[in-house]
Amino acid sequence: MHLDPFELHRPTTVDETVDLAGRLAPDVDYLAGGTDLLPNYKMHLNVRANLIALEDVSELRGISLDRVGAMVRLADLEADAAFAASFPGVVAAAREVATPLVRASGTLGGNLLVETRCFFFNQSLPWRESLGYCLKADGDRCHVVPQKVKCYATFSGDIAPALAVVDAEVEVAGPSGRRRLPVSRLYDPVGDGIHRHKLAAGELIVAVHFPPESRGLKATYRKLRIRPSFDFPELGVAVAARQDAGGRISRLALSLGGLETYPRRFDDLTEPMVGTVPTPATVRALADEVQKRVRPVHNTFLAPEYRKKMAGVFVRRATAEVLGVPESSP
Amino acid sequence: MAAKEPTSPYRLIGTRIPYIEGPLKVTGRAEYTDDIKRPGQLIARLLRSPWPHARIRSIDVSKARSMPGVAAVLTGEKYPTQFGVLPITHDETAIAVGKVRYIGDIVAAVAAVDERTADLALQAIVVDYEVLPEHADPRTGTEKVVEPIHTRGLNGTNIQKEVVQHFGDVDAAFAGAHATVRVRGTYAGVTHAFTEPMATIAEATPDGRLTVWSATQVPHYLHRALSEVLGIPMHRIRVIKPEVGGGFGGKSDPLPHEIACAALSIETGRPVKILFDREEVFVTNHGRHPTQNDVRIAVDPEGKILAYDIDALIDGGAWSSFGTVTTYYNGVLSMGPYRVPNFRYRGRRVYTSKPPNGAMRAHGGTNIRYSIEVGLDDLAERLHIDPFDLRERNALPPHTMTVNQFRITSTSFVKCLHAARERSGWDSKFRQLPYGKGVGLGCGFYISGSNSPIHFTPKMPQCTVHLKVDMDGGISVHCMQADIGQGSNTLLAVIVAEVLGVDLDRVHVQRVDSDVSPVDMGSYSSRVTFMMGNAARQAAESLRDQLVRAAARVTGYPPEKLEVGHEKISVRHRPDVSVTYVEALHAAMERSGALLATGAYTSPPMGGDFKGARAGTAPAYSFAAYVAQVDVDVETGIYRVEKVWAAFDCGRALNRLAVEGQIEGSIHMGLGQFMGEAMMYRGARLMNPSLLEYKIPMPQQMPDVECLLVGDDDPEGPFGGKEAGEGPLIATLPAAGNALYDAIGVRFHDLPVTPEKVVRGMEQRRQSGRTWKGVA
Repeated sequence: MHLDPFELHRPTTVDETVDLAGRLAPDVDYLAGGTDLLPNYKMHLNVRANLIALEDVSELRGISLDRVGAMVRLADLEADAAFAASFPGVVAAAREVATPLVRASGTLGGNLLVETRCFFFNQSLPWRESLGYCLKADGDRCHVVPQKVKCYATFSGDIAPALAVVDAEVEVAGPSGRRRLPVSRLYDPVGDGIHRHKLAAGELIVAVHFPPESRGLKATYRKLRIRPSFDFPELGVAVAARQDAGGRISRLALSLGGLETYPRRFDDLTEPMVGTVPTPATVRALADEVQKRVRPVHNTFLAPEYRKKMAGVFVRRATAEVLGVPESSP
Repeated sequence: MAAKEPTSPYRLIGTRIPYIEGPLKVTGRAEYTDDIKRPGQLIARLLRSPWPHARIRSIDVSKARSMPGVAAVLTGEKYPTQFGVLPITHDETAIAVGKVRYIGDIVAAVAAVDERTADLALQAIVVDYEVLPEHADPRTGTEKVVEPIHTRGLNGTNIQKEVVQHFGDVDAAFAGAHATVRVRGTYAGVTHAFTEPMATIAEATPDGRLTVWSATQVPHYLHRALSEVLGIPMHRIRVIKPEVGGGFGGKSDPLPHEIACAALSIETGRPVKILFDREEVFVTNHGRHPTQNDVRIAVDPEGKILAYDIDALIDGGAWSSFGTVTTYYNGVLSMGPYRVPNFRYRGRRVYTSKPPNGAMRAHGGTNIRYSIEVGLDDLAERLHIDPFDLRERNALPPHTMTVNQFRITSTSFVKCLHAARERSGWDSKFRQLPYGKGVGLGCGFYISGSNSPIHFTPKMPQCTVHLKVDMDGGISVHCMQADIGQGSNTLLAVIVAEVLGVDLDRVHVQRVDSDVSPVDMGSYSSRVTFMMGNAARQAAESLRDQLVRAAARVTGYPPEKLEVGHEKISVRHRPDVSVTYVEALHAAMERSGALLATGAYTSPPMGGDFKGARAGTAPAYSFAAYVAQVDVDVETGIYRVEKVWAAFDCGRALNRLAVEGQIEGSIHMGLGQFMGEAMMYRGARLMNPSLLEYKIPMPQQMPDVECLLVGDDDPEGPFGGKEAGEGPLIATLPAAGNALYDAIGVRFHDLPVTPEKVVRGMEQRRQSGRTWKGVA
């Protein structure tokens, strides 16, 4: 399995980077930690002839309570005690990514844009060739849901759900300047499934910004997988909340990754709980409703029925933990 | 934590000795096949079949051959001679001839200046296939099929091998039984997943010789296969085994790529290297067979076993490989550690259009053992007998013959039971831990070296060891045994140093090289410690006798009055009179120069005279009793094996550190098969050919392991030792399965036991209205 040769570009500023991307488009990818992109290149998945290394772009670095650069390595993020104290859920999610070795290279921006995954996509060229390829790379059909012309590859980042529930925003630079959008709107819930995010061609995540009012939210991240490290999520549940002294909820958000093509928030279920004092019954009702709604497909190791059921269990446990509600088993 | 270590009459044997090659391995200095670079070396890549079953109408290699940088393109017809690890089932070719039989079967081989050029050349090869029906399910392969995978299948079916055996009267035993149990087990295939991918370098030289370096655990059989297929006499072929990064059975067949690589070197006159990527390792497989077995056990009111009635349907994949042995083993390896007076077995191994299955650590003894042990656990519960008591009542005593004429010599199985029971706190835990927590007992039994070498040449030993010592006092050891990480080099050195009384650093175990290493059959069937150990001891004793005779001349005392001490030979009862080892050596060399010594091992005759009687016969057997303790999250089904108490009888543990390492590694591998490892197929297509999606347990999943080495000396083993490389795996799986039952009241007969199966199992128990430990 060889890596095809590519041209490596090493810009040092965001403007230079975006310019370069514009000139090289569409035969170009950004290279951050490389832990997702390069294995995919080895499998000849959507290979580009030009890679723009983001390593030397200094603006993409730095950790503060307001802002974390897109090129911050996950290992550095999880080691930052001050950040962890303010955003425990984000750090909890970062710690669950892959292995220590991968996190030493892998970056925050890279994890946000990690390629969606599927048993029929993450395979070598000969493997895919023998099956006639798939929608997401080189082919025209989906082997998971054959009657549809949509890609069902699973969103497999751990950190996006944890960022979404603290209302973090991504700062994006592109040919038409800079913009900010909430992490929860970085992803496309209604698209073809093939293109996983709503960044325009040449756009680049510069940093993630954290609103001051989200500091110190109680938060957690729970990840389902068959092994306690290395594996991508089969389900990831992020919850963040604030309560007054009497336990009344003033803020509550929930986001699920690892199940569908994008990380999904459930604001219409959590917002009605604001102003209430949670009970095991209300937490259970929330979990049951989430479980009812999610639609995993059979494209990861664990069966979709099981992942769906676990969505209920994990939402209940994570929410109960954050809200300090005693857990009730079914 | 290790058990209390017994006092040893030996200086080195029985202590804890780190691997002699360890410093080189951990600093990256050890030389593996891919570390070797020959001048002018080409890189080979293989074109693999995209179809599970197809006829090759034509192959057009003209474009590939004309590409710049491409030195040779080879297709199958040039070397059509069939080969295989067993002489009786040759059905493989180096490169496919006429037909492909699984996705990944080798269709063509390219040698080029680099990997990318070779890969691009593969893409330029045009193959016209006539697609044939795929045979993914072994169940349908037992009937006559259209277009069987091989012409040698039984009567137009895909059955590669059928074994039928009956000893005693099983029907009568069942008719008179007090209780019976039936377990229908389903076992997904698992694979070795060794660290080092397959790698081979071949170099044909103008002197008419061929040298092959290969990551193999059986250099001698590779040597034979190369000779047979390439048509070159063995003496013109030189096989070298560099360090090998794990084998577990997966490098014990001579493999097609090894021969194709050699053929490419002959074709080009240049050295050719091939290194597999991980997907190729997965599809080359030769792992543990997916198996369905149907096991019935009959017992009397005291729980004494009356009979086994076993049927096994074994998914062979595309080749025979070790399959004939597998088919026997899935029956006959049930013949210990208990006395079984009546035994009936039908085993069928069926070719399928999938990657070939073969030998994997505890070959043939693992799946059948799981079914038996969970069945016995069930019987014990129904008869209200403690699982330990039930097993102890059935234990084979030492020095007995089984009903199928296995000669059992040493067994410390009962000691294993006692140690595991006591150390695990069994009597205060079993059925007494809270819901979700449990303990389980599983036992094991395995051969310590197959009595029948695969290529049996009458009157030739299964292992020969040569020693050479020159004036520097260093001792070179030559033997074709294959250290694949299990510590056999270290054991060779330890045995030689023990017998000669010298420091370990005097002993230099030489790299396996067929030009200088005397034949050993290789690392399979857990034979090395026993057979090589005996040969090494004999060689060292022969050398010792030469030194003692020389010391006798120097001291004036007769040899029988002398004894070997640490780096010296002294007069018994006169410790003040002695010569050093080097003085004795130099005296011995006065007439002859460098000293030579040889030792060999041939196993004694054994086995009945019925068909297949030799299968499973061994000069000794290992025994095991393991207790596992589990903790289940009863809502998610995610569980952790917290601790394993591993009581194991390997006779005397010759290198305790190595034995403990083998036990820990075996438990890790056994738990992998139990908890999540599986070759996942959709039809004939392997879905998870990667270490990311093939779920080897992570370090966090590894239980605490307490090794209890309680074996008594084996009468024929070297220094009383027996195998510890494969047997330690077997008991792991049923111990975990029975512990899950104790925790949640669910029997699992379908491996691996993933969390979703645990959840489903608990739901089914609930639906049946059965409570467990008071929980619905």
